[in-house]
Amino acid sequence: MEEIHRDVQYGAGSVGLAMANDLNQALNVSATGMDAQTTRLRVIAENIANQDTTGSAPGADPYRRKTITFESAVDQAAGVDTVRVKNIGVDNGDLQLRYDPANPAADPQGYVKLPNVNSFVEIMDMREAERSYSANLSVMQATRSMLNKTIDLLK
Amino acid sequence: MDPTKIGLFALAEKRLAWTAQRQSVLAANIANANTPGFQARDIEPFAKVLSGYSAVQPARTQSGHMEGTLPTGSAPLTQNPPAARALDGNAVTLDQQLTKIADTETTQSLVTTVWKKYTEMFSMALGRSG
Repeated sequence: MEEIHRDVQYGAGSVGLAMANDLNQALNVSATGMDAQTTRLRVIAENIANQDTTGSAPGADPYRRKTITFESAVDQAAGVDTVRVKNIGVDNGDLQLRYDPANPAADPQGYVKLPNVNSFVEIMDMREAERSYSANLSVMQATRSMLNKTIDLLK
Repeated sequence: MDPTKIGLFALAEKRLAWTAQRQSVLAANIANANTPGFQARDIEPFAKVLSGYSAVQPARTQSGHMEGTLPTGSAPLTQNPPAARALDGNAVTLDQQLTKIADTETTQSLVTTVWKKYTEMFSMALGRSG
């Protein structure tokens, strides 16, 4: 009798261990997703903060918008697709010119090069990053609740 | 006595393993929701997995044959043609994936509840309360 009861409890323990491994991988993947979106948000913050940064010498180039791309990376040990930042690049789009002869960055004709940051584009990008971040967070919460339920089998 | 030999526990174990595996595949989809060219994946439905497993059970025809010790294995991945693709080639629909996550969580909750009830029935048969 005692033995049966102990075995049933033991069975729950070994099943729980196997489940916990897969679920921990899921938590790990969501964490890499949140990490990638955080880096993206940092790049957006840099762009918005520098949207009026002109060069310091006459005719010098101003701040150029930064871009970020992601790629999926296979976690060899776990065999699942995590995500990581592929590269943070520079947007080589056209710069706007403004006639402002008094500016220290003005060229001999009196034109100042302005950064190619468009705040509408940045804010739209920020919203998307926010949305993806919270989707990853929801997955994490769901996974955690699944883990808790698996652990509850031991009680 | 090995509890995983009891029909219901064996089935529940397979189902739990399936939900845990599905959860990690869906988590990968959502983590890659902004990765260019990434396409969402899923795993085979449980009914299909279950029928596949029972079909290839090796038979023990001699007393010297040993029982397999390998785990039940993981379900194969599936990939449906995407309904829509973003300009960068990404084909992950967040709401669709979150619905699947919710579905997996509900299934897991059901299985763990059944498991606990069954354990309680053991306790009851052994003359304990709870």
